[in-house]
Amino acid sequence: MEPNELGRFEAIVLPHLDAAYTLARYLTRHEHDAQDVVQDAYLRALKYFEGFRGAEGGDGRSWLLAIVRNTAFTWRRRYQQEAGAAEFDEQLHSETVAEVDPESELLGATARESLHQALDRLPPEFREVIVLRELQGMSYKEIGEVTGVPTGTVMSRLSRARSRLQRALYVGQEGR
Amino acid sequence: MIHGNPELQLDAYLDGELDSRDTREFERHLKECRECARLRDARVALSAAIRAELPGLRAPDELKTRVRTSLRSAAGSTVSRLQWPAVGWRSLALAASLVLVAAGSWQIATDRTAREALSEQVLTSHVRSLMPGHLTDVVSSDRHTVKPWFNGKLDFSPSVYDFAAQGYPLFGGRLEYLGDRPVAALVYGRRQHLINVFLWPASRGETEGPGSTMHQGYHLLHWTTPQFTYWVVSDLGPAELNEFARMLREADSAARL
Repeated sequence: MEPNELGRFEAIVLPHLDAAYTLARYLTRHEHDAQDVVQDAYLRALKYFEGFRGAEGGDGRSWLLAIVRNTAFTWRRRYQQEAGAAEFDEQLHSETVAEVDPESELLGATARESLHQALDRLPPEFREVIVLRELQGMSYKEIGEVTGVPTGTVMSRLSRARSRLQRALYVGQEGR
Repeated sequence: MIHGNPELQLDAYLDGELDSRDTREFERHLKECRECARLRDARVALSAAIRAELPGLRAPDELKTRVRTSLRSAAGSTVSRLQWPAVGWRSLALAASLVLVAAGSWQIATDRTAREALSEQVLTSHVRSLMPGHLTDVVSSDRHTVKPWFNGKLDFSPSVYDFAAQGYPLFGGRLEYLGDRPVAALVYGRRQHLINVFLWPASRGETEGPGSTMHQGYHLLHWTTPQFTYWVVSDLGPAELNEFARMLREADSAARL
């Protein structure tokens, strides 16, 4: 790396530190793990910076968050923090969610659950699209760049994740 | 409706991901379909709840420090791993920046291993100086401002020149620590590129002609005058680097007369 490049690199990635931390925090669900993931991701990003510059007009935020995301998933696999959780299955999880009928869930629900807990219980593949869309305000295309899936998949994951969360919210409202 | 899944349509609509034709079509549908209107209200409420209850987070200061520190040390080691053939002459010449280091005692200059260690330090110093906020402690193109700034900070008064007329303007200076002693670092520019100059007194007044080395992709020059030992490290092309060194040596000679 040419020395000027570090300055350029920092100018591109450091403004997104809060976004990186937010994503890592929601994905790992642990503050210290999130910090380790972010630090690790920034070091990886530095290593791959050459590749990023190759893609002209590339968006620094999407590029960085994709690395944060992949780092977090690597960590999850390595440390088994989702021990007991089944591997994500697009079809299986999607179908499960699709079956949810807000009203029947509402009637059948006995426990009130906070939105935060509901988000934590989502598979990370659903959790991340919520964070990227609702907290980072990213477009489907940008979310696709971060998560490495087609826009159509982003759309369906997001919709299904919301349906799950909606159930929690309905329960919350009903509990008044 | 384009597809049979109203939730998918609704989400895309609320996220602003439908094109204008589909948007109009969906809005018409919302007026007619109570089910979709009800779903819309629920989605809007959900979105509001998420934003209220699930805040975006601020990175802790501790993390900011960790990230910056690790990047700098990683970038430093990346630079020192670079080998000359991997860099390529043309890219060096294009992204030229130049550090001139006037350094050291003759013991260091005559000890090959110590010299290599010093050139490592020179290079590290060069790389560090290019990071934001590290280039200069005194910012001035006026050598009569830069030179006195070192008063009381060093046990010698460094030679400071301005080669703006020749295309190497003075930017400023700072203190550095090289070869186990504080040294003067002077910063010059060449077109859009940076030039850093460091110097400290030669201990025994032995002179040494310019020696040049290629070190980890950077070009280094060093020489000793009766007064100072100089080091130049740069990713600038050798022609311009040598020209700069020649001007500096001539200015030094003239100053001694």
